[in-house]
Amino acid sequence: MVGMMGAASRDKISSLIKSAKFDSTVPSKLENLRLLSGELSNADSVLLSEFLSHLLDLLSDRFGPVRKFTAEMIGDIGLRCTEYIPEIVPVLIPVLKDDTPAVARQAIRCGMEIFRSILFKVALQGLYSNGLDTSLESSWSWMLKFRDEIYSLAFQPGSDGRRLLALKFMETVVLLYTPDPNVSSDPPADQNSQVNIKEFNISWLRGGHPVLNVGDLSIEASQSLGLLLDQLRFPTIKSHNNLMIILLINSLSAIASKRPAFYGRILPVLLGLDPSSSSGKGVHHALKSAFLTCLSCTHPGAAPWRDRLIGALRELNAVGVAERAATDLTLQNNGSLERKNESLISQDEEPTRKALDDSHNNASRKRMGVQENTDILEDKMSVKRVRSVPVASEGSTNELRSDDDIDPSGGSGTCKMEVDNGPVQQLVAMFGALVAQGEIAVTSLEILISSISADLLAEVVMSNMRNLPSNCPQTEGDEEQFLGKGSCPGLKGDNSEFDNLSSLLTNILSQSSVLPQKDTGVDSLPSAANELELRGTLDNTDVPGLSHVSEEAPVPTSLPASSGEHVPSVMENGGSGALSDVIDVGNIESEIPGLDFPFCSDELVITSLGSTELPDASQEQVSSLGRSSLELLPSVSTDRSEELSPRGTVTDLSSFNSSSATSAGLSTQLLLPKISAPVISLTDDQRDNLQKLILEHITDTYKQIANSGGSQVCLSILAYLGVKFSFDLEPWKLLQTHILSDYVNHEGHELTLRVLYRLYGEAEEDNDFVSSTTAKSVYEMFLLIVAEMLRDTFPWPDKSLNRLLVEVPYLPDAVFKLLEDMCSPGGSNKDKNSSERVRQGLSIVWSLILLRPPIRDACLRIALKSAIHPLEEVRDKALRLVVNKLYPLPSMSRQIEAFAQEMLVSAANSNPATESNDADGANAEFKDSDVGKPSNELSAIGASSKELSSATDQLAVSESISSSLLAEGQRFMALYFALCTKNHSLFRQIFVIYESTSNAVKQGVLHHIPKLVRAIGPSPELLGILSDPPTGSEELLMQVLRTLTDGTTPSPELLSTIRKLYDTKVKDVEILILILPFLPKEEVLAIFPRLVNSPSEKFQLALSHVLQVSSNSNLAITPAEALIAIHGIDPERDGIPLKKVTDACNICFGQRQIFTQQVLAKVLNQLVEQIPLPLLFMRTVLQAIGAFPSLVDFIMEILSRLVQKQIWKYPKLWVGFIKCALLTKPESFGVLLQLPPAQLENALNRTPALRDPLIAHASQPNIRSSLPRSVLVVLGIASDSQNSGPTKPTHVETGEMGKSEHTQSSHAYSGDTSKSDKEVVTDKSKESPDAT
Amino acid sequence: MKFRYAMVCSSNQNRSMEAHSLFKREGFDVSSYGTGQHVKLPGPSLREPNVYDFGTPYKQMFDDLRRKDPDLYKRNGILPMLKRNLAVKSAPQRWQDNAADGSFDVVLTFEEKVFDMVLEDLHNRNHVPMKAVLVINLEVKDNHEEAAVGAKLALLLCQELEATEGWEESIDDIITNFERQHRRKLLYSVSYY
Repeated sequence: MVGMMGAASRDKISSLIKSAKFDSTVPSKLENLRLLSGELSNADSVLLSEFLSHLLDLLSDRFGPVRKFTAEMIGDIGLRCTEYIPEIVPVLIPVLKDDTPAVARQAIRCGMEIFRSILFKVALQGLYSNGLDTSLESSWSWMLKFRDEIYSLAFQPGSDGRRLLALKFMETVVLLYTPDPNVSSDPPADQNSQVNIKEFNISWLRGGHPVLNVGDLSIEASQSLGLLLDQLRFPTIKSHNNLMIILLINSLSAIASKRPAFYGRILPVLLGLDPSSSSGKGVHHALKSAFLTCLSCTHPGAAPWRDRLIGALRELNAVGVAERAATDLTLQNNGSLERKNESLISQDEEPTRKALDDSHNNASRKRMGVQENTDILEDKMSVKRVRSVPVASEGSTNELRSDDDIDPSGGSGTCKMEVDNGPVQQLVAMFGALVAQGEIAVTSLEILISSISADLLAEVVMSNMRNLPSNCPQTEGDEEQFLGKGSCPGLKGDNSEFDNLSSLLTNILSQSSVLPQKDTGVDSLPSAANELELRGTLDNTDVPGLSHVSEEAPVPTSLPASSGEHVPSVMENGGSGALSDVIDVGNIESEIPGLDFPFCSDELVITSLGSTELPDASQEQVSSLGRSSLELLPSVSTDRSEELSPRGTVTDLSSFNSSSATSAGLSTQLLLPKISAPVISLTDDQRDNLQKLILEHITDTYKQIANSGGSQVCLSILAYLGVKFSFDLEPWKLLQTHILSDYVNHEGHELTLRVLYRLYGEAEEDNDFVSSTTAKSVYEMFLLIVAEMLRDTFPWPDKSLNRLLVEVPYLPDAVFKLLEDMCSPGGSNKDKNSSERVRQGLSIVWSLILLRPPIRDACLRIALKSAIHPLEEVRDKALRLVVNKLYPLPSMSRQIEAFAQEMLVSAANSNPATESNDADGANAEFKDSDVGKPSNELSAIGASSKELSSATDQLAVSESISSSLLAEGQRFMALYFALCTKNHSLFRQIFVIYESTSNAVKQGVLHHIPKLVRAIGPSPELLGILSDPPTGSEELLMQVLRTLTDGTTPSPELLSTIRKLYDTKVKDVEILILILPFLPKEEVLAIFPRLVNSPSEKFQLALSHVLQVSSNSNLAITPAEALIAIHGIDPERDGIPLKKVTDACNICFGQRQIFTQQVLAKVLNQLVEQIPLPLLFMRTVLQAIGAFPSLVDFIMEILSRLVQKQIWKYPKLWVGFIKCALLTKPESFGVLLQLPPAQLENALNRTPALRDPLIAHASQPNIRSSLPRSVLVVLGIASDSQNSGPTKPTHVETGEMGKSEHTQSSHAYSGDTSKSDKEVVTDKSKESPDAT
Repeated sequence: MKFRYAMVCSSNQNRSMEAHSLFKREGFDVSSYGTGQHVKLPGPSLREPNVYDFGTPYKQMFDDLRRKDPDLYKRNGILPMLKRNLAVKSAPQRWQDNAADGSFDVVLTFEEKVFDMVLEDLHNRNHVPMKAVLVINLEVKDNHEEAAVGAKLALLLCQELEATEGWEESIDDIITNFERQHRRKLLYSVSYY
């Protein structure tokens, strides 16, 4: 069966090996190998031996992954069947240098496991027998070779991961070769037991082993360690990169912590490393954790190094890490050490007490004692306490420690304490010196006191509290008073208070200075306390200051000397390694009957420094109260006192007993009956409630103070307290109520800011997710609530909200929303405050933009949104801000422009249908309510500016339909328009989009543009745009020009622009009309034909423009000149229909006020002189006579001049002449009679109606006599047949000739004439009643 | 992607999950863990956080919080975060309890405390050191915004690592460059699986 199975797997294995060897692709090879390894794991040794060589061949496969996998398999085999090792290792050794790092790494891994397993086997076998079997022995020797190979890798330059593992291998070997102190040194009973790495201990072999010699192995391990250490020594270390250094540190610290025996070798090297010299923070950290690891080792061998480690940690990362080191220690050691220490202390208590007297001479021993105690302290204290009471003085530490060895307040605060109190001590010394001078120094004292800050003074006082002879009858009162005040230093920081303090100080100092002489021994408590206090003082000094202070302070020297040493010893603990007998500071214990006093003073110091948490404050309160044995004492409610109190009481009692026994040795120290503090443990909830009540109480009290005109200081303190209040008690809720109840009087701003900053700090601190998120959320709510309150209670122009938002740490989104709502009130919000609110909102936005650059964009968005608000009122306010204030800021202008342009374009592109769909509720409502306003405006415009373009008229007509659209358009364009006033070049865009906009929008633009243009004026930019207007914008262009020329004298630039425009682009003469009054006469006259050619309305307009200024300017042309100019037009030459010209004349005649009789006379007078006569001359004459019949005499004169000019030679005029004569008969008879006979006849023939009246006229004797005979003949009064015949045809011919000359226009002319004749007739008939 | 990554923060909610999510999207072989004792999420106040055990499905937390106060948890971003998380994996995992997940090549932590805990845990694991693992700490503040930034930085860093032949040779350069480029301090160490 077995055989069959063996055969089956043999075939399988061989085929697998084969295919693994000859497959061409990596995946298939690997797949085969995977199967193979499955098979091999079940294979027996026979099979293995058979295939091993084939397998080993695979190690030279050309694919890295294959080699790696093979190495792994071989490793497994080696692990299972040690007998193959002599075959395997020789093959594996070259693999260590494989080109592919992964393969080499795999080889090392295999080596590591096999090495260990063989070592275990060798060790166990040797233990139970006298010799090893040969195969194992040869395996072992091969493994040793392999080990050497790996070792060599560890220090080869270049690192590709081999090195990492090689080093690890070394570390492992060192560990294996050295005794493990944590593992039993008794070998397992059973030789065949499987040995776990954690259980193996080389010291099993101590009894003797055939191959392995413990001593040799140790030496070897030590050498390896030496090699490793050398790597970290100068100068080798320079050649390593950070990775190597980190690795070495990690390895060495691992060795050190597992084999504390090596501390002495490893730590000096590690401690000697200069973390600053290596660049990487990784090294720094590795070193730190290495020290921490070493520090956490509980082996006694490690203990002597602890001080140096803590010192090094401090150096590495200031106090924080050291604290952490201590706390880590605490956490790690808590259980075992505590027990140990307790027993230690109880044992040591007696002897050390006896040793007290000589203790102060033995610095090193003392150090050790303190050291031990420090450790204990550190063990006991909780992390939180250490951190929250950084100033817990060493004094209290000592005292508490000495009291019961369970001091929570931690020695690790010492470092800081020393720093803090340096100046204080100097001041104390100074005070001391002054006081010593007695009365003379009083003034200097006062000066000194008044010149130092209140805080500092408080500290001075506090530190001197320790010097108080606590129980002297005469000082008792003082002290109480002092304490009472000390509990709230700075609260009443006025001068009288300082005076009080100074006198107190003086008292105290003088008392303490005389104390030594006052050694009564009756009143034991004061002196005991005194001593304590003195020591406390000294403990607070830094080392150099120590001697100085002790000189200054006249106190018993022995105790200060000893206790003063404690400070440095904790700090520096000079590394004098000997773990000597521990001097329990229990010796001091005996001298401390009254725990209260030190407590008091320490706590007061703490409060005065102001850096304590509220718990301390309450504690302080309690302890000061506790002096008068108040029931409040239970509120000493910190962890510390909870932990402390029960035992504290007990030990107090015991120490009472014991110290009474030893008090004989201490002459000055006698014991009082202990005022045992009735300490009660509070639950967390009770404690919190108490704290809340305290804050509430303070708040209420301050309210009353404020009502009665209390000082601002109170409020500052309240704010401060609120902020200092333990965060998780949510003090802000109370403060919020307080703030909201009366913002102004409760210093709401100050309080809010403080709370917000606190919350912000809480959120930003490297806190855990929960507290930062909670704080953020609370922050937002708090700010929002206060902001809303401010908005509602302090409307514009109050600046409270403004100020608040400017000063808070940051603005959450909710606040932006609030601002946005203020600046852009919703449609439904019709409340009357909204306009004020908009103002307030905008002013806040403005301040924020100025003062908080990072949020500019958000603020700008709010302002811009407001600038397109549907309500014009809102919009205007926002526009003022955006355009006048924000736009000039270079940082914002681009954004504003972009936005305005976008809006402009959107307005332009919106078509009415979608627009109305888009309009939200607010807009719709707005439209409904406001429709009236714009339309009124429009109609007003329409009425007032009749002469304005047709567009406007059209607008007025369609106003009711489009007013809402117009408003909508305006809403979006207003901003852009407003910007144009600041940046004229923006104007072009309006022209560009104009063509494509809807009618409604166009109207909006046209409506708006005059205002805008007036604001801008004819700036160069505008002229630039005007001179090259985009196509389609003519309408707009006209509107702009109209505005520009309206009512003002256009600048020369404008004139030339318009002229150029007329010449190049816009052929419409209309644009010239605008500037006619300002053009020189010649120019106007030059363009006159074109004016005439324009539609009659425009001509009328032009005419009025031309004549408008004529009254006051000699530049412009007179009406007469205008009329003459009209007559100067030659329809053919100028290409103007005659009709236009006549229309122009008609228009002129229509304006009688301007074209008066005189004007006409003047015109006719001049025209008649022209050669040739103007075409329309006679027509004008006729019209003149029609219009002003009184001109008839003048006309006659003209006619007679025409006769002289041989008017008959102008056939068209001739007709008119005759017509005129007919019209003006009988006055014209005289003129007619001046005609030569032939022409007269012609005339009479043409108008037979003339003949009879003329004959009658001529027949009058006086006339007849003056007439030549030929005329008479024509008239038929005298007969001359000869003459009459030939004359007629001549005239006819002439007439016909004239006709043929003017054939082209003849039809029109004749038509015209006939028509004008009719008109003239009508005129005549109309005028005749007036004339007659 | 040649390496196997682990993202570790304290609660396996915010920073590690942000990174996990991003890495997953980028196709990395990635897992994520927390090293804390519990999964703590903000509650109505600081004293009333929502505490869950590791292993509680994100979905369950999501439903729980949505039931309690949808507005609050939406406003402070917790619900969106949980929603993102439950799309990545089912429940938060504790680093220390998931040694069975096998060895990673690179472990990224987002807080020094976590970094230390990971190293310590690796150190204490009861197995034979066989394989080196690179542990890198990138300090990231525990809030939503920073987590997003941190995840992107982490991705960049890991892409750098991926680009190398083996991180062993170039890790110092990569770290130095990264620090210079992004002005972030990194910590790294090497441990063994």
